[in-house]
Amino acid sequence: MNPEPFLQLDRVIHEKGRLAIMSSLAATPELAFTELRDSLEMTDGNVTAHIRTLQEAGYVSVTKSFQNNRSLTTCALTAKGRKSFADYIALLEQIVQQTKKP
Amino acid sequence: MNENWAAENLKTIRTLMERSAVYRRALAPVTMLTGIVGLAAGGVGWMTQCDSPRRFILFWFAVAGASLAGSFVVVRRQAIRDKESFWSPPTRRVAQAMLPCLYIGLIAGLMIAFVADEEDLTWALVPIWMALYGAALHAAGFFMPRGIKLLGWLFIIGGTMLMIGLALQGSAPEFRYTHVAMGAVFGGLHLAYGIYLHFTEKKNAS
Repeated sequence: MNPEPFLQLDRVIHEKGRLAIMSSLAATPELAFTELRDSLEMTDGNVTAHIRTLQEAGYVSVTKSFQNNRSLTTCALTAKGRKSFADYIALLEQIVQQTKKP
Repeated sequence: MNENWAAENLKTIRTLMERSAVYRRALAPVTMLTGIVGLAAGGVGWMTQCDSPRRFILFWFAVAGASLAGSFVVVRRQAIRDKESFWSPPTRRVAQAMLPCLYIGLIAGLMIAFVADEEDLTWALVPIWMALYGAALHAAGFFMPRGIKLLGWLFIIGGTMLMIGLALQGSAPEFRYTHVAMGAVFGGLHLAYGIYLHFTEKKNAS
């Protein structure tokens, strides 16, 4: 098996927690922080740490606003994040195809 | 290296993407409220003998409006409690999916109320409303938990059964029974589903 696609996998996305966050955000224009935390059954600290890493990589944008006098934090994939996620999936598919070959 | 990990990762990604696109607000309070309003409206309509086609249609439009307003308040409170936006992408998708069928029901009702104003046609409108509402729920079910599609089918089946029953009977029953049919089907089914959800819906649904 050619190890090259595996080596090209984006390490930022490849981590389990961050992959879950990226996958959730990829299906929707934006998600509230609490919605992400609850749907992925992660702790506040975990989501915060992963979001920070993804933000530093330029993959996720975080918006803070106020709704009915309460703070609302929403996360969304950036254009760079969407492209990197699409590339990551394409590589995974390539690996799957390789493993299928006799 | 485990050869299946890439396929497993893809499967996980697909599942997570599907889950985040689904509407996940707690539905039990909304369906129970709609059920109670529907049953009460059926009783009020029957007792007050609201028995002209136009009054019947406008009365049930008002009931639908009240249910919608009540649902709006309940969902908005959930969104505020969870620090989420009310008009979230899944909410938008659900609304867009339901809109065409509800629009047809609205126009059909207005046409009969202000153009035809006939009792027989109004009787025919009752199963059509049921079936259209069922179709709206079924369409929304693609973006909601699976049970909504089943509820949609129950409305569709209820509506078509009533349609067949009316056709076989030949002449329409006494007009005020329209309220009984509306209250029993809209109120009863919502309330039954709401009670079912109350005991089964995940406590942390948001």
